[in-house]
Amino acid sequence: MSVLAHSQKRIKKAKVWLISIILLIVLAAIAYTFLYLKHDATMTDVGNRLASPTWGHPLGTDHLGRDVLTRLLLGFRLTVGYSLIALAAAVIIGVPFGLMAGLRGGWVDRLFMRIADGFLAFPDTVIAIVLSGLLGPGIGNLLFAIVLVKWVNYARMVRSTVLTEVQKDYVTIARINGLSTFTIMRKHLLPHIIGNVLVLASLDFGKIILLISSLSYIGLGAQPPTPEWGAMLNESRPYFQANPEMMVYPGLAIVAVVLAANVLGDYLRDKFDVKKEVQP
Amino acid sequence: MTVIEIHNLKKSYNPGKLAVNDVSLTIQKGESLGLVGESGCGKSTLARCLLGVEKMDDGSIVYNDAPIAHANRKQLRNYRRNVQTVFQNPTASLNPKLKIKDSLIDPYLQFKDDLQLKHFHFTSKQDFVQQLLETVELPKELADRYPHELSGGQKQRVTIARAISIEPNLIVLDEPTASLDVLSQGAILELLGSLQQTLGMSYLFISHDLAAVYQLCQRIAVMRDGELLDMFRKEDIYHTSRHDYTKELIDIF
Amino acid sequence: MILAIEDLTVSHGEKKIVDKVSLTIDKGEWFALVGQSGSGKTMLSQAIGQLLGTNLRASGRIMYQGDNVLEYPKEKMNQLRGKAISYIFQDYHGSFTPFLTIQQHMEEYLQTHGVHQKTQRKEMMKEAMESVGLEASFAKRYSFQLSGGQLQRASIALALLLEPDILIADEATTALDSVSAHRILSLLQDLQQKKGCAILFITHDWRHVVRYSDKIAVMKDGKIIETGTKQKLVHQPEHAYTKQLIQAAPTLPMRIREVSKS
Repeated sequence: MSVLAHSQKRIKKAKVWLISIILLIVLAAIAYTFLYLKHDATMTDVGNRLASPTWGHPLGTDHLGRDVLTRLLLGFRLTVGYSLIALAAAVIIGVPFGLMAGLRGGWVDRLFMRIADGFLAFPDTVIAIVLSGLLGPGIGNLLFAIVLVKWVNYARMVRSTVLTEVQKDYVTIARINGLSTFTIMRKHLLPHIIGNVLVLASLDFGKIILLISSLSYIGLGAQPPTPEWGAMLNESRPYFQANPEMMVYPGLAIVAVVLAANVLGDYLRDKFDVKKEVQP
Repeated sequence: MTVIEIHNLKKSYNPGKLAVNDVSLTIQKGESLGLVGESGCGKSTLARCLLGVEKMDDGSIVYNDAPIAHANRKQLRNYRRNVQTVFQNPTASLNPKLKIKDSLIDPYLQFKDDLQLKHFHFTSKQDFVQQLLETVELPKELADRYPHELSGGQKQRVTIARAISIEPNLIVLDEPTASLDVLSQGAILELLGSLQQTLGMSYLFISHDLAAVYQLCQRIAVMRDGELLDMFRKEDIYHTSRHDYTKELIDIF
Repeated sequence: MILAIEDLTVSHGEKKIVDKVSLTIDKGEWFALVGQSGSGKTMLSQAIGQLLGTNLRASGRIMYQGDNVLEYPKEKMNQLRGKAISYIFQDYHGSFTPFLTIQQHMEEYLQTHGVHQKTQRKEMMKEAMESVGLEASFAKRYSFQLSGGQLQRASIALALLLEPDILIADEATTALDSVSAHRILSLLQDLQQKKGCAILFITHDWRHVVRYSDKIAVMKDGKIIETGTKQKLVHQPEHAYTKQLIQAAPTLPMRIREVSKS
C-alpha cells in the first residue's frame, strides 16, 4: 500500500471517529434538554447578569441573567431541528419534481428547468433575505424561504441522474422486459438517487444551519428570547467587548455542528461510491 | 417450427433514408441465425425493432402466429418473456449500484408468476443465482460482488446468465463479443454454443465478424445499407451463388 | 535494421510493466506485436516516442540510426516524431482537435517540421489525401463530420505525410468494425509497399496478424514469450499461450470445401 493510500485510510478512520464523537455530544445534549434541565431557558435573573462560570451556571449567565449552558443546549434542538425540517421539506418536494422532469421530459421538463434557472440566478442568501423580509421576520417564514430556495437543487440533481441513467443499456433491458416505470424507478434508479441525495443533504445541512443562524443574527429569523444560536449571537452583540464568551459559545456550537455535517457528507459520499474501494 | 417471423420491416430515422429497408426473415426453433454487416448497415436497428425499443414504420413481427403490433397485454408479456437480449457493452448492461445477484434475478422477479422452468429447479433465490452462475462457468462468490469488480468477459457472462434465466425461446445477441479481448471472445462464443445445446433456444446473432457468426450459426444473413442482400446455410458459404458483397466479406476472413 | 530495442524495461514504481524486452525491426517490414490488454504492448510502443506518462520510467536502449532515442532531449525527440517515427492510435477521435479541420492539422504538422513553402504544402496535402482514398474536399471538414473509417484514413494520411521510417499503429483498427478494419489495413499495406516504411503493428486480433505481418512477437505480462517469422509462428507455434491466441480467433474453414462441392 502506498504512503498516500495509507494516510487516506487514516484520515477516513479519523473522520468516522469525529462524526461519532460529535453525534454523541448532540444526542447527549438533546437527552439532557429533555430529561434534566435545571434552568428555564427564558427565566431572567437581572440580579445575576453576566456572571462568571459557577457550579450552578457552568458557562455563566447572559445579559439578562439567563443560564448560557441551558440556552446553548436548547439551541441544539432548535437549530438542528429547524434545519432538518427545512431539509426534509426540500427533499420531499425536490425529488418527485426531479423524477417527473427526468422521466417525462417534454414541456414538464422545460417548464421546470426555467423555474430552476430563475432560482439559481440569485444566491441563496439573497433570496432568503428578500423573502423573509417580504413575509416579515419569524422562524416559520424563514424556513419557508429556505425550502423555496433549496428544493431546486434536489430536483436538478435527481433530474440529471435520471437523464444519464435512463440512456444506459441496463434500463433499456429492463424496459424490454416490460418492467413498469415505477419498478424501474424503485429498483434501478433509486439506488443512484439515494446516495446522491444523502450526500447533498448532509452538505446542505451545514449550509442551512448557517443560513438560519445568519438570518436570525440580522433579526429576520428566530426572535428573542428564543434560544436559537444566531439570535443568541445577535443579542450578545452589545456586550462582546466586555464579555466576549457570550459570542464565543454559540459561535463554537455553530462551527462544531456545521463541521460535523460536512464530515458526515464526505463520509457518505465515500460510502455510496461503490467503486471507491478498488481504486489504487 | 418457427419462433419468429419478420415481414417487410421498414424503419427510418431521417426522412428519405431507410435504416432498415423491407427486410423479411424467419428464425426456426433451436437454430441460430447470424446477421452480418458493417456498422451502420441497419442490423442493430432491426434488433431494436424486434425488442420493441424502437417502433417500426412498416411491416410486422409475428410471434406464435400473432402479430405483436396487435398483441394484448398477456400476449405482449409472453413475447417479452420469450425474447431476451444481450448487448455489446456488458458494463452498460449491468446496473453499477446493484450486486450481481440482484441483476441476475431481475427478469425472474418480473415474470415469476407465469413461469414454468424446465431446466432450472431451485429451492431458493440464492440457489437459483448460484445455479445460473454455474451455468455460465462463473464462481459462486461473484453473486455478492458489484459489476465493477468483474472483468469484461465475466460481466458479459453475467448478462448471458440473466438472459437465459427465464429460459426464453429466442435471445437477440447484439455484438456480444465486440467489446471483449480476444481470449474472452473465443470463450464467450463457445459458451453460447454449449448453452444452446443444453437449453435449446434460438439465437439471432448480430455481428460484423463473419467468422464468429460462422462458428455459432447455422444460417447467415448479410445486410448492407438497410437491405438484406444474401441469406444462406452455413455449408453454402462458398457457393457460387453468393452475393458479390458476401464474397467480399468472405475474402476478409 | 531500422529500430532495435534492447532490454527495454518500463516500470511504474516497483512494478515492471514491460520487462527486459528486446526486438529488432527491419527496414520496410510489417512487425506485429500481439497480446491481450494489459500485456504492456502499448507501453512499449509509447516508450519509443517518449510518450510515456511522468509516473512511468523507461530504461534500456532503443537504437535508431546509431543513437539511443531514450536519451534524446525533448527538442530532438519532437523533431524525430512525425518525421522519422509516427503514430496512429485506436482512438481516432482523440487524434484530432475538434475545432481544427483536417487541413489545418496537416498545415500545422508540415510547418512544425520545416515545410515553409505554401505551394509545396498544398501539393503534399493533396497527395496525402489521395493516397488514402479520401476526396480532397474532406480536408476542409472537421473530425466529427467524418465516419470512423474515414477518420482513421485521415490520421494515416497525417502520419505518413512526412514519409517516416517507421509507423507505429497501436490497435489502430480495434474501434472499427471488421469490414472497415480490413479496408484500412489493406490500405496500409499498399502504402507500405509504395513508401517502404516499417510498421510496428500492435493488435490483439490474430487474424490481422496472419494476413498482413512479416514478423510476429507475442507479448504476455510484459515479456515477449515467442517471436519469429509469420510462417514459423502461424504453423509451428511453440508456446501454449500463442496456441491459445490462435485458437481463440474464429476463422472460416479452408476453401477446399468449395472445390469439393462444385
